Amino acid sequence: MTAAPLTGQRLNRVTDPMILAGQARYVDDIALTGMLHAAILRSPVAHARIMSFDAADALALDGVVAVLGPDDIARMTEPQPCTWLVPGQRITNVPLADTVVRHIGQPVGIVVAESRALAEDGADLVLVDYDGLPAVAAPEAALAADAPLLYPDLGGNTVAEAVFGTPPEDLERAFATAAHIVERRLEVPRVAPSPMETRGVVADFAPGTGELTVWTSNQGPHMTQQHLAHILRLRIDRIRVVQPHLGGSFGAKDHLYQDEALACLAAVHLRRPVKWIEDRTEHFTATKHGRGGVYHARLALDEDAAFTALDVRITADLGAFPSTVGTGPFQVTAMTSPGPYRYTAAGATLTGVVTNTTPTAAYRGYGQNESAWIRERLIDEAARELGIEAVELRRRNLIPASDMPYATPMHMLYDTGDYPELLHRAERLAAGARRERTGRVRRGIGIAANTEFTGLGPSGILQMLLADYNGWEQARVRIEPDGGATVFTGIADVGQGITTALTQLAADALGMPADAIVVKSGDTATSPMSLLTAAASRGLTVGGTPVIRACRKMRERLVRIAAARFDAAPGDVAFDGVSFRVGDASVALAELARDTWLGWNLPKGELPVLEETDVYDPANVTFAGSVHVAQVAVDLDTATARVEAYWVVHDSGVVVNPKIADGQIIGGIAQGLGGALLERITYAPDGTPLTTTFLDYLLPVSEDMPDIVIEHMHTPSSVTPEGMKGLGEGGTIPSTAAIGNAVADAVPEIAGHLLAAPLAPTVLHGLLAEAHLAR
Amino acid sequence: MNATRHAITVHVNGAARTTDVEARTSLADLLRHELRLTGTHVACEQGVCGSCTVLLDGVPVRSCLMFAVQSDGRTVETVESLSGGESTADALDRFQRAMSDCHGLQCGFCTPGILMSVTAARREGLGVDETTHDVLGGHVCRCTGYQGIRDAIRTTWDADARDADGPAAGPAADTAARDGGRA
Repeated sequence: MTAAPLTGQRLNRVTDPMILAGQARYVDDIALTGMLHAAILRSPVAHARIMSFDAADALALDGVVAVLGPDDIARMTEPQPCTWLVPGQRITNVPLADTVVRHIGQPVGIVVAESRALAEDGADLVLVDYDGLPAVAAPEAALAADAPLLYPDLGGNTVAEAVFGTPPEDLERAFATAAHIVERRLEVPRVAPSPMETRGVVADFAPGTGELTVWTSNQGPHMTQQHLAHILRLRIDRIRVVQPHLGGSFGAKDHLYQDEALACLAAVHLRRPVKWIEDRTEHFTATKHGRGGVYHARLALDEDAAFTALDVRITADLGAFPSTVGTGPFQVTAMTSPGPYRYTAAGATLTGVVTNTTPTAAYRGYGQNESAWIRERLIDEAARELGIEAVELRRRNLIPASDMPYATPMHMLYDTGDYPELLHRAERLAAGARRERTGRVRRGIGIAANTEFTGLGPSGILQMLLADYNGWEQARVRIEPDGGATVFTGIADVGQGITTALTQLAADALGMPADAIVVKSGDTATSPMSLLTAAASRGLTVGGTPVIRACRKMRERLVRIAAARFDAAPGDVAFDGVSFRVGDASVALAELARDTWLGWNLPKGELPVLEETDVYDPANVTFAGSVHVAQVAVDLDTATARVEAYWVVHDSGVVVNPKIADGQIIGGIAQGLGGALLERITYAPDGTPLTTTFLDYLLPVSEDMPDIVIEHMHTPSSVTPEGMKGLGEGGTIPSTAAIGNAVADAVPEIAGHLLAAPLAPTVLHGLLAEAHLAR
Repeated sequence: MNATRHAITVHVNGAARTTDVEARTSLADLLRHELRLTGTHVACEQGVCGSCTVLLDGVPVRSCLMFAVQSDGRTVETVESLSGGESTADALDRFQRAMSDCHGLQCGFCTPGILMSVTAARREGLGVDETTHDVLGGHVCRCTGYQGIRDAIRTTWDADARDADGPAAGPAADTAARDGGRA
């Protein structure tokens, strides 16, 4: 008897009981004997040259063990390499601690003490003499002719440039012949990814073996290992990075930070374990921000309102220096800007600018939330100007299913999808949505359609993009001598539940019950190498495929060994997940596994090591699709927008665990909603951050989030063997735009000004007042 | 910085714990780093997010905003008390299980605080609306979008209402909460 497949079932997550019992072990839960505690010294000024660094008073404090300043750090470390470049990028690596600081919160040193409190006491006693320099905190200001220069040797604040899609002259021709052009300046501000668990590290150096063991709250153990090896001048095989249970990441923890590297340096230097845990205020200035772009975008239409051309000029705020991924998210904005629509031409330019602010990097959506905001707001503006319903304008321009596979002018290849059907179903699902344009509480309906870039690979694309990451994934399955199965994957669980989905895939492929399987990841000593791990919504598609294939191979092998035992053909062997049977004869998996590991009864040609491995490098990325519909109430008296109802039709092909899938979509929408209405990192013009706590940076709370209604379509991917597509970012990407469009629909009088997220009460009040709509 | 120390006795999860703490030690740090009850999490250290919520004499408090010495002679309940620290599905109480069934957690960092606040609300007999609005409103979750948590509260309250023995019935009566999430 074979149990029903687990793929497609709403299985509870295997990690839940541990978490709910308070027994999940996060990095700050680790305590080692003799462990010291670190505080990072951070620049309190946005731009300055360090003239002197005096740690004498700190070192005199009882309990302070060591202080490392910029000179010590420069002597003992190599700069960290940028891992995603554009051709001609003018900064390609970043020192751990520089003698010129370029943003508030930038690390300048580390204090190590017997307790965290003493480390912070010591940090207060370090005297650093800063010689202030003029600062610039916004990308457009940084491009002004008289702007202060962050790197005077470069002669300007532009450090990276790139062009995408249709060649500029062809693009101009398309605009020159357009019947109608809509042009806007849009903005998606910096946001703080804000995982509830901040960053942290415990580093333990064993002088005897020269091995450094690092537990760190990070998405990518192998990437961390390789960067640490380079920075600390150690061999890769002397560093083991272990991922504890992670309290969220959302991209913010996708690379090694200077802070963690400094704690590791201290551990090696002092030959004692060192712990560093970021606090929330540090997180707002020291952890990379997401988004942060200004966009001049144009949409051209012909006389039938068919889209003919799209042009997006991106001014990318990189912050004080390019992060490891540098312009990466902004490149993705360019490449995904066309979305699910047809155009004859589409192009983009990117100007990467440094400013005296925290660097920007990955955040859920990774440039796609921005491209959706640009495109979908622009489409609504076009609809408003042309007097066409926004849904009708979309319907006329969506790529029909018959055109699949479809190559966009940005050279993205959409594999499968039925976008008109998504829109049709979304209209049906949201049929009860209300629009009210009278009274003091207005109601509007906003739509956004999207294609989601998922399953990043193949390795060749990453090489072409000058991104130092492997696109493949490996899985290894081992049948243990007691008959249990251990699956090793490079995909890290950052809280999303990928471990459960991979367990389901393994169970089906092995024909074994889920509780006989353990999925292990996040340890460079045992996990297959993966530099991207679960980034780019690739965990299930790229990581799951080799799990399936390795497990199938293992099952075939077990059946072969069992068949030989009974002198039968493999086709005559039945396996029920516990034992193998031929007619009346049977052998338990546990017995077969034990015998095989001992080398007993081993058929000719079979090896005793019960392990199978598979490597999968996808042929291409695979594109998921969705249409989001938001109903938003705008209270003209309080200038607040509130999402009252929300509908999603989502297509990620074959869905492995619908419960987890819906959780990803709903949680993603909450983050997109935050971006639409609440979240914005702000700086004073002199580079002073103004949002450094959860009191001035508002995250959505329960009352902000309506219950989301989700309908799934299941158009299998033609790229992944099992038809799966990713969905980790699909909720976040279009939701900001759908909500923005709903606000615009509710108050068309101000719609033309709703171009910069978030549409917070302060913004709305100003616009409503100008339109004489405020109280 | 001249740290004075104080001997205190706190009744934590049913056991008296006597320890010596610095005056500046927070209750959260006492629980986590002295008593090694690491299920209580610290996410903002300023009382906004609710992750560190524990019950002090039965009342939810932000353990990051209290000094450990303020808990001297009082009782503290942490997440580890809910299922006796046992990590098996069978050991979970009704609301813990509903949280899993309804996918009310992802990374789980904020979860212990929510569990403690909702546990107090359930004991106090608060209504389902008050609990989903006001009680959950005191917590920030970055992963779930709250929908699964609200579903778990509704599921638990429904099961409690059906259950003549009320919330004290324990895990054995909790099977009714299974698969009570959205269809």
